[in-house]
Amino acid sequence: MTNHWIDIRNSDVILIMGSNAAENHPISFKYVLEAMDKGAKLLSVDPRFTRTSAKADLYAPLRSGTDIAFLGGMIKYIIENNLYHAEYMQLHTNATFLVNPDFKMPGELDGLFSGYDEQKRSYDKSSWSFQRDAKGVPKSDLSMQDPNCVLQLLKKHFSRYTPELVSDITGTPQEKLMEVYQIYASTGKAGKAATIMYAMGWTQHTVGTQNIRTMAIIQLLLGNIGIAGGGVNALRGESNVQGSTDHCLLFHILPGYLPTPKASWPDLAKYIEKSTPQTNDPESANWWSNRSKYITSLLRAHFDSGLTTEEDFGYSLLPKLDDGQNASWLMLFDRMFKGDVKGFFAWGQNPACSGSNANKVRKALAKLDWMVTVNLFDNETASFWKGPKMDPSQIDTEVFFLPIAASFEKEGSITNSGRWAQWRYQAVEPLGNSRHDSQVMNELYSRVCALYKKEGGAFPEAITKLSWDYGFKGLDGKIEHIDIHAVAKEINGYFLADKVVKGKSFKKGDLVPSFAYLQDDGSTNSGNWLYCQSYNGKGNNMARRSQKDPSGIGLYPEWGWCWPVNRRILYNRASVDASGQPWDKKQPVIWWNGAKWQGDVPDGGWKPLNQPGTKKSFIMLPDGVASIFGAKMKEGPFPEHYEPLECPIEKNPLSGTKNNPVIKLFYEEGGLEEDIFYSCDQRYPYVATTYRVTEHWQTGVMTRNIPWLLEMQPSMFVEMNPQLAAEKNIKNGDWVKVSSARGQVEAVAIVTKRFQPFKVQGTTIHQVGLPWCYGWSTPNTGDSANLLTPTIGDANTMIPETKAFQVNIEKRG
Amino acid sequence: MARKAFMIDTSRCTACRSCQVACKQWNKLPADSEINRGSYENPPQLTPHLYNKIEFIETEVNGEFKWLFLNKRCLHCGEAGCLKVCPSTGALFRTEEGLIGFDKDKCIGCNYCVNGCPFDVPRYDADNKITKCHGCLDRVGNGLQPACVKACPTGTLQFGARDKLIAQGKTSGRKLYGEKALSGLGAMYLLDNQPQDYKLADNPSIPTSIFLWKDVIKPLGILGFWGSVGVAMLHYVTVGPKQLDDDTEAKGGE
Amino acid sequence: MGRYVERFSAFDRVVHWTLAVAFLVLVISGLGLFAHTFFGYFSFFGGPEQGILAHKIAGVVFLIASLLLFFAHAKDSCSFDSDDAKWFAAFGGYLSKNEKEIPQGKFNAGQKLFALFSFVAALVLGVTGFIIWDPTAMARGMTQFSLMLHGLFFILIMMGAVVHIYLATIGNPGTVDGMLWGQVKKVWAKKHASKWFKEVAGED
Repeated sequence: MTNHWIDIRNSDVILIMGSNAAENHPISFKYVLEAMDKGAKLLSVDPRFTRTSAKADLYAPLRSGTDIAFLGGMIKYIIENNLYHAEYMQLHTNATFLVNPDFKMPGELDGLFSGYDEQKRSYDKSSWSFQRDAKGVPKSDLSMQDPNCVLQLLKKHFSRYTPELVSDITGTPQEKLMEVYQIYASTGKAGKAATIMYAMGWTQHTVGTQNIRTMAIIQLLLGNIGIAGGGVNALRGESNVQGSTDHCLLFHILPGYLPTPKASWPDLAKYIEKSTPQTNDPESANWWSNRSKYITSLLRAHFDSGLTTEEDFGYSLLPKLDDGQNASWLMLFDRMFKGDVKGFFAWGQNPACSGSNANKVRKALAKLDWMVTVNLFDNETASFWKGPKMDPSQIDTEVFFLPIAASFEKEGSITNSGRWAQWRYQAVEPLGNSRHDSQVMNELYSRVCALYKKEGGAFPEAITKLSWDYGFKGLDGKIEHIDIHAVAKEINGYFLADKVVKGKSFKKGDLVPSFAYLQDDGSTNSGNWLYCQSYNGKGNNMARRSQKDPSGIGLYPEWGWCWPVNRRILYNRASVDASGQPWDKKQPVIWWNGAKWQGDVPDGGWKPLNQPGTKKSFIMLPDGVASIFGAKMKEGPFPEHYEPLECPIEKNPLSGTKNNPVIKLFYEEGGLEEDIFYSCDQRYPYVATTYRVTEHWQTGVMTRNIPWLLEMQPSMFVEMNPQLAAEKNIKNGDWVKVSSARGQVEAVAIVTKRFQPFKVQGTTIHQVGLPWCYGWSTPNTGDSANLLTPTIGDANTMIPETKAFQVNIEKRG
Repeated sequence: MARKAFMIDTSRCTACRSCQVACKQWNKLPADSEINRGSYENPPQLTPHLYNKIEFIETEVNGEFKWLFLNKRCLHCGEAGCLKVCPSTGALFRTEEGLIGFDKDKCIGCNYCVNGCPFDVPRYDADNKITKCHGCLDRVGNGLQPACVKACPTGTLQFGARDKLIAQGKTSGRKLYGEKALSGLGAMYLLDNQPQDYKLADNPSIPTSIFLWKDVIKPLGILGFWGSVGVAMLHYVTVGPKQLDDDTEAKGGE
Repeated sequence: MGRYVERFSAFDRVVHWTLAVAFLVLVISGLGLFAHTFFGYFSFFGGPEQGILAHKIAGVVFLIASLLLFFAHAKDSCSFDSDDAKWFAAFGGYLSKNEKEIPQGKFNAGQKLFALFSFVAALVLGVTGFIIWDPTAMARGMTQFSLMLHGLFFILIMMGAVVHIYLATIGNPGTVDGMLWGQVKKVWAKKHASKWFKEVAGED
């Protein structure tokens, strides 16, 4: 989230699209309803009428996978009706920048941008660039009238997204489209805020990243980024997904969003050179120019502090990606399926149910030599070898099960979607022989480390040189009890030598006050620069519980702690005009009082934009402004609608390019049978999507084991509209079979008007939906909807496309 | 003590059902083994182990599709059908806050309350003892909120002084249900739509048969019974018995 | 020739007194359910649950006995003639000390009416009792209506019982003899049931 949960209450318009907040983030509705109490409008856009829609002022249906078309129509509406916030765009975005005249768009190239290489399925992005002056600073036209300026290109690009065409793609009735556009675009005025609450309904598509890009563009056009009640807000799927992502959940990043080293970056100097963005604009803060401090401090935290500058502080000990290597989820399990992976830790996860194309996942697990599952309860992954269609006598995978403590059985921090790190305490002792994660890791570390020390082996230093100083060591050198505070303090960072920084002197062993004090000479360490300040000389800031709110807009600056540097609303310098005065006088986030900033921690403490020595407001980007034109994307700098890999229509109504042209195709002629997909195939005529339910958590491993929750949602179901049910002779409550090219599940039919058929390209298209919270290991609940979902990912992130695929349904005989 | 009550603002309910679970947790109620019958609404009815539940109502109001959520529970009526019919003093009782509690030790298992209730709320457990929402009288008596209210994330469920809740409710612009009915419900609704859209009676009342039975027949019957005894006595002393004239026995026998 | 004539067979008497005992059990246990005042009556049975059980058992006995008794005498109790009309017109002579003989059969018109009423009441109480046997088993509306009807007929049958007992004992001396040991005095028969007496004794 750029903003945070409580801030939702400051919105004037709330769009819930690509998420179902009432069901999957029920607490958020506390704030949604508070906003509505003050007159805010709630818009719900979803293929299905959900519990969120039930509370909305306006519900608009759309066919799964057509969000860009829907939102593209809104961009056209905003620009053509001059509803955008021009002053905001001029100050804070690249809308004024002039683009290279060679840049061509899908309107001219039948769905493609300039530079496409069909062989490589990727773009040469050289034309996706700005015209620059002699100093290398992008040229701009403040009037935004130049035909090559970003706004005019945006206008031209989305002029193709007419309401008629959009409605024909999305299946949304035109009048509903226009109503949504009108209400949402009403927040382009200063003093009005609209927010978007999205989740996996947007990300889990082959165009997932571009779905969010489209919305980011809308928010920038309307001046909704950085202000109270605005922002682009990802509702995280788990309570600590934000925290785990911050701390390097994903393969391509180290803690604090530092890129994972590549094989072609052999030393630290090369890493810093290659990963530090450059700018020629003196007014761009280009905060990532501090990269060297963060990576050095990270290395100092990871590895033995005895390592020297000459040894690159252990940089060579970090794992590296091969150049161009993608080690995302789909790729890992593809490799596992092909027998390339020997061992696997399934730690707090259940891929046999959560992984897209779960049949392939289950088969892949059988190719392992060993698997360690770490979980609260037995589950479909731990017991995959005795699951459906498995023959235990043919499976050699050795499975270990480590029972683990639940969240309330251990102490530590948790970071919510709003980036708030909040400390929580152990409520009860772990049950039976289950242990804290830290204990299990400590055991693993000490035993593996001892073995490496004793036996040597390949590359032992990567383990033996790890710094592991989180508690008292016994005589054998092993830590008996991990002190979680020691871990938190190391994440914050210490001074490793006496040092004077910014006129303040620090002693060796002092906690670093904040990341502005981190050094690249090895004199500081920090396990995650973004969390530097979370646990400093003032104590454990994450454990703060003051309910003071001097801002009046719900920032609660002394409740817990939030990254970066306790800034509650990101990009908040875009909430003010050039003189530092807030657009929204009633709900100011920050304001310049003539001498300094008041309110939230500003995004960089420089003076307002109209004063000398200022820096632009988007400090993390080299150009200093928000990217309406975003050349970092793989599919193009502007979003374009492409159909899901499996879709019900023959042709993309917008162009001759049907699917996202840069996605990695797993199935091609002669490929793995497991990865097969059928698009626009009469055998699988219905659009399907998956979702969660309030009553169950993720794959349901925890909740299926709680009878109270199972009572409320006892088994697998498939929701469908009455017309489809009648065609298929299915009655409410009947058991049906749902099948895709890859698998089949049985489910109880919920026949409901909450699903309505879509009129697309003159035909009637039915959509059905299934939850993925069930699994065969809980008797009589059914199995996961992910047995149906495809092996295909988003072009930028490789998140699987589980929210739009094709199925057939029939009554169970 | 001023009467306390629940206010259930249906417009705020997202059917997250934390009320259902919190109730089970506080009252130590087991789960029912359920199956999906083609609805999210499980169990489909209140059960002996389910004191409150959310009804999911798919309906159309003025041609517009609606999905309405209603917290179904004992409404702690001011004039309570269950109390009226309960033969065992103390099996059902009214607390000083105005809640209707029950005492399983005193329940005789007659099931009359099931039929006396205008809203079909009371259930009987495996021991044939009454169960229903008792307003967490154990919590309320100790100054706490009922478990369901405590767990509700959206403010749908509120509990407090009844007149205050009514005053607040009236400012909401929504239809207030249960202010006067049955001498005032102890759990009132704020409705966005008409009561019938929520399958609620417009003017809930004690079932007619139960009213006739307890408020007409019973008092008249007592009158009738003693009346007939009185008439018999009166007859005896005024008209007197029909003596057998030539009772030979009376004359000394044959 | 003796002073007595046979009026009720041993079968009649056994069934009647069975019915009477069942009735008494029903009244005592039923009163516990009827009003709080009488809740203590359940202690006669060892507690409310047992009292309710006793009520159910006695109810079945009462219904069977009622049916037996009614059908055993249906021929006598279901035939009304002009004398009965006269009897009704004179309120059975109960309103004055001036006794005027109205010829009656084995049962006088009032008794016949009472027999019919008892039969109907027993049926209604039996059927409604069956419906409320488990008050959650049937439709709520039907159960509620049955509860009301059960209460109503309880009141009516109680009033009937008061009248019946009064008239059969101190109201009409000698009447109860027939139900106690089967015989009534001829003088009683002549006075109260002259037509029947003529039939069974051949005398005037």
